[in-house]
Parts: sequence; C-alpha cells; structure tokens
Amino acid sequence: MQPTPPPTQTPAYAPVSPAPDQPPLDQATVLAALRARVARLEGLGRARHGMDPVPVAEGIPLPGGGLARAAMHEVAAASPGAAAAFCAVLLARSGGTVLWIASGGSGKGGGEDLQAWPPGLARCGLSPANLVLVRAERWADALWAMEEALRCPAVTGALLAAEDAARLDLTATRRLQLAAETGGALGLLLRPDVPNPDPSAAATHWRVGPLPSGGGGHGLEDPRWQLELLRARGGRPGGPWAVTWRAASGALDLDEAEASAMEAPIREAPIRETSVVRTPAAEMRRARRGR
Amino acid sequence: MSRRFLALHLTDLAMARIRRAEPELEEAPLATWEASGSRRLLVAVDAAAASRGLAPGQALADAQAIAPELLLRPADRDGDARALHGLALWARRYTPLAAIDPPQGLILDITGCDHLFGGEATLLADALARLQRAGLAVQGAVAGAAATAAALARSRADQPIAVSGIEAALAAPLPLGPALRLDAAELEALARLGLRRVRDLLDQPRGPLARRFGQALLDRLDAVTGRRPHAIQPVQPPPELAESLDLLEPLITRPAIDAALDRLLAGLCAKLRLAGLGARRLALLAWRVDGAVQEVAIGTGLPSRDPAHLRRLFAEGLGGLQPDLGFERMALEARATDRMETGAQTSLGLGARQDWAALAELLDRLGQRLRVQRVAPVASHWPERSVAALDPQAVPPPPPPGWSRPDQPLLRLRRPKPLEVVALLPDAPPASLRWQGMSQRVLRAEGPLRLEPEWWRAESRAERRDAYRVELPCGTRLLVCRGGASGWRLHGYLP
Repeated sequence: MQPTPPPTQTPAYAPVSPAPDQPPLDQATVLAALRARVARLEGLGRARHGMDPVPVAEGIPLPGGGLARAAMHEVAAASPGAAAAFCAVLLARSGGTVLWIASGGSGKGGGEDLQAWPPGLARCGLSPANLVLVRAERWADALWAMEEALRCPAVTGALLAAEDAARLDLTATRRLQLAAETGGALGLLLRPDVPNPDPSAAATHWRVGPLPSGGGGHGLEDPRWQLELLRARGGRPGGPWAVTWRAASGALDLDEAEASAMEAPIREAPIRETSVVRTPAAEMRRARRGR
Repeated sequence: MSRRFLALHLTDLAMARIRRAEPELEEAPLATWEASGSRRLLVAVDAAAASRGLAPGQALADAQAIAPELLLRPADRDGDARALHGLALWARRYTPLAAIDPPQGLILDITGCDHLFGGEATLLADALARLQRAGLAVQGAVAGAAATAAALARSRADQPIAVSGIEAALAAPLPLGPALRLDAAELEALARLGLRRVRDLLDQPRGPLARRFGQALLDRLDAVTGRRPHAIQPVQPPPELAESLDLLEPLITRPAIDAALDRLLAGLCAKLRLAGLGARRLALLAWRVDGAVQEVAIGTGLPSRDPAHLRRLFAEGLGGLQPDLGFERMALEARATDRMETGAQTSLGLGARQDWAALAELLDRLGQRLRVQRVAPVASHWPERSVAALDPQAVPPPPPPGWSRPDQPLLRLRRPKPLEVVALLPDAPPASLRWQGMSQRVLRAEGPLRLEPEWWRAESRAERRDAYRVELPCGTRLLVCRGGASGWRLHGYLP
C-alpha cells in the first residue's frame, strides 16, 4: 500500500518569490509576473485566449504592448473620419472576420445618415472578404447584435457605432465587456465626443481627432491624427500623441517632435483633474452612497 | 396503389363568415348581393332565405319584395377566397396535399394518411365535426378520383365513402348541375334535350356532344367518371420532412410552446440526420382551436440540423404567435433541405471548420432580426455603384484593381448634404466653406476628379460631378462634390 502523494498544485495565493535554489529574480520579471496575475484576476482575458494584443503604434505605452483582445475599447470621435479610420485600422489588425454594426442611421433624428463605405475601409486594410456590415434601426437591437458578435469565437473584431453617446451606459458596456471576455474578440465602441461621457466599463478610452498634415505642397499628404488615451485599465492615461497614418504601408507612425510642440489642438479638451477620474467602481460607490 | 381523395363542400361559406363576424344577426334570412352592370343581383342565400323562395341570380328588388325581413350584405368574393385558402391550410392537419376547389370546396389527397386517424370514415367524421363546430355547414365524400369525390360532396348529403374503381357508376345518378358544375345556360340547353343526369350524358355518342357543347363538357364528364383523373394543386408544396404533435390540452403559454418546439425539433433533427440532410428553411405551423393556422418561418445560411441553433432562430418569431384560446396541434416542416456532409469534422468541430460553422450560425441569428450583408466589390468608376450587397453567407470576390481609390470616402452620406462653398472661379477648387457654423478656409484641395455617370445604363439619371478632397485648417478631411444643377454637396468623410 503506497501512501498517496501530497497535492502538488500551487495555491492561487502563492507568493511570487523565487524558489531557494533558483537565482533571485530581478525587479522587471517580478513586476511582469505580478501584472500577469492582476490581469488574470481582472479577467482581461489576455492569458486565457493567448493571442497577442493588437498593436497601435510604436512608442505608445500600453499595458501588454497593445490593445487587449477579449476586451472593450471606447473611441470618442472628435471628427468622424479620423476616428472611424483609426477603428478600421485596429479592426484590420485583428486579423479575421470583422463585424461593423451601425445603429440608427435612418436620418430621422436629424443625424447625417452615415454609412461605412467598404472601398474606404479597404484602404485602411479591411478587405471586403473579412467584412460583414450589420445595420440596426433600434439601439437595443444594435447592442444585442454587438453582444452576439463578441460572444462568437469566429469573430476577431466587432465595432458598434453609436450615434448618441448618452445611451452607452455602464450596464451596457459591462455586458459587452463580459461578452468580449467570452468570445475573445476585439470590441470597439465608436461614439461622438461629448464633454462628460457616462462612466463605462471599457478597458481603454481614446479620443481621436484630426491634425493638419504637414508638407507645403497643394496635394494631400498622409493624414495625421491626434490620439489621446483618456483612461486605461491597468495602465496610465497618456498623450496626446500625434501620429501619421501611412496608407501605403498600413503603419501608424508616431511623430518625432512629440506632444510638447503640439501646434493646434483641434478642440478645447475638457479640463479633467486626475483626482476625480470617473472609474466605474467609483461611480457605483457614489451611486450607492447617494441611495 | 390507387389514390384516395376526400372532398369537402362548404355549402354556405359566405353566410357563415357573415354570421361569425356579426353574431347578433341570429336566425334572420340572409343574402349577399353584388352589382352586375346596372342590376343588383343576389349572389348567395342561406337556408332560411331559400325556404322563402329566394335564389341566387334573383334581382335584389324582387327579393326584397318577396321577403321584406331579408338582411342583405354586399358579397365579398376576395374575402371568401381567402377564407377558403385558410381552410385549406387548416386541412393540412390531415394530409400535406390539400387543395382548394373554388368557390366552396376543398379536396384533400388522403392516400396513405387515413390510418393515422383510424380509417377513412373516422377521418371524414373528424373533419366534418370540427368544421361544424366552427359553425360551417359542410358535406363530405371520399372516392378514388378528385372530381368524383367533389361531385359526390356537392350532390349528396349522406357523406358517402366509395371504393375506388366504380367512379362511373357512382357519378351516373347525380344531377348534372352540381356534378359537372355547369352554368344555368348550359343546364337549360341540356335539359331541353332531356339530359338531366350524368347517366343521360354517358349514353350519348361523344362526337355530336362535343360538337354541340364543346370539349370542356366532355373533359369534365371524363374527370367525374374517373376516366381521366387529374392531379390536384396543393395550396403549399409538400414539405420534404415534417414532424407533428397533437396536443390533448391546448397550449397557451410561451414556456409550453417552447417545450413543444423542443420536442418537434428533436424529432425532426433525428429524421434529418438519418437522411443525411440539413434544413435550409423551416416552418413551424400552429393550429389554433378556432381553426386559424399560424406560421413562423426561419431560414439558415448553411444547412443545419443542430436543435439548439434552430431553437435560437425560432425564438424571435415565436413572440409573434397569438395563441388566444390555445394551439391544439403543432407541426414543424422542413420546406427546403440540403445535403450535409457527415463525418468526424462537423461533429468534432476542428479548427477552421468550427469557426466557419460558428460564424454561419452567428450570421443566421443576426439575420433573423437585422439587415446583415457582405459587400461585393464591383468594377465601376461611379462611386455609388462600386459596391453590391451580397448574402451574408456568400464569399465576396476579390476586389478589382483600382477599386479602393483615395477619393472614396470612409464614411459616406447616404443623401449628400448641401454645403456653402466659395470658389474663386466657376471651375476652381473650393477656397473656403461653411463648416459647423463657421466659415473655414480650405487649407488644401485635391481635384477635381470629374465623374461622368454611366450613360450606358438606361436607369442612370445621376448628373456629372467634380469631386474634391479638401482639408480644413483643423485637419478634418472631407469629400465635396460640385454638380451641375445641385451645386456643392458634402459626400463623405475621409480619414
């Protein structure tokens, strides 16, 4: 009769310390291991789905090195064209079937009745072979479609274009975030830029606007955009960065003379003190206290 | 095997519909009328009116003089036809081959179906009882030819069930009017010759009969005597596979309907698996207690026999069912099926194949509620025509060279918006434009790209326009076009 071996699985709370016979870990390795564990606890899904994050641009510091898959990311559009192009570039980099879900758009509410135009999207790298266009008249249908798309393992990216930013509340984004964690797709919310947006559960918040392109000639050079990372879960907000999008190579290049010498910001950014960052958790706490 | 037909003759369908819509009419004599030229004639009368000596074809004024208490309603032939069609759908509970026999009859091909109901007599009695309970006066008959059964149902009130092969003997004693459905003028001409029953016609030589009354009369005669049987046209093509459920208690609640659907789906999917098929189009039929038949149809992009997936597709449509007093019978029909390759790959779901199936299911689900499409690139210089909508399950062709030109916008306005633009010369590029309430200088402009409409298309009524890509001082890039008559318009946003 042999004695049963002791259980070998390590408890979840095992400290990240080197075994006595291994060389001591340096600080960077410990930090990376801790970050990975925090990400796992937060359920960002990076570890589970094991796919590389979607790169944005060389030089923009992001947790994990890019936009996490299996998570929602919110893009506030300071100008419709630049923000949509930014989203299209990211979706194209996700590398598979992509759903572009437009809500409303009947033009009844006084909106412009915009339509994502496949030839333009193809210039951003989104080929028609990978693109599925969905159109929902009602907002509830659009949210449902987005959730279904994110849950599907065959979809690598999904975008929900919201005409009205006010309807993207915490509940909706939280649901979408959970759906994205199930399916593993890159979820993007494209919404108009409003001064005080509702709190949202998205992993990162961006604001994208245009910048005047350089060059003295009469022709239009490659477009330049201003990217601002307003909030990032597990990271630090940053920017604004000026990037140039090279349509020919499909790359986003960070400008050399960086943010310090930003000449003409496109619109007055709302003043936000870092102490009153509206996180979902803080918002919920506030709401509970109010009740 | 000889075929068997059940014919039902609804003796006063129009009256029954009126009485059902207006229960307060009670037993008063009732008739419908319609204008024929400048005259108003009775179209149909009920039994009470007929007993007072009224008959179809009578003038309205005469009828009112004979029976002053007569209630009159305008005839609604379209409504009657719709009601008859609805009854034919209802009759599909007995057989998938149910046809209408206008104006007042139904013909069911019950070959091989009768044993499910305990024999032909039980089936006929059941159908008659259900129709009578719904307030319809009805006569029925079963025979070996469709026209014979219909003639028997019209002429005899004793619900006969006749064996096959003796159609001529059965039809012989029937009066000509109901048996061959002749109009009054033909009947009168025949009666003048002493021909009143089918048997009288059978005794005549065919040649002179055809010369005098036309081939149509002989065709009808041959159909009724079974010499030349004709096929019936079912109201709906028969399904490829079906599964049905008879319910002891009518179903009213949504959970009960869901449970019934689950059982139907399990049965149908098992049948599909045995046949090696997958469903492309499915319909759920629900027979309500009052005789109405409701239908929920779904379609799939790829053949499927996965009950869970099909159930999700039905979930949307089930909300539209109106059970009122409950459904007493439900059936699930596969209207279209496709071969489905069997084997390890689909069931194990390996790799790309699994993804492919998952995507197809997702697109099915979205397609039940929303507009989902893929786009096919089209080689056309005219921007609006460079994209064609495709089925979401289709694979788009590769883009033609030069398809995504730089002057194609990223976001396009479905209806281009008028724009206030200042150009220094009539043909010069824009110098400034009014944007978000402010006049803005145009920093750079590229163009014009002159677009001529596709004149070889007859329907093309678009006008020529010059497209400019402009950049404003803030960096926003727009696609603006100058048309001849319409002036400057904003067509879209560039990256």
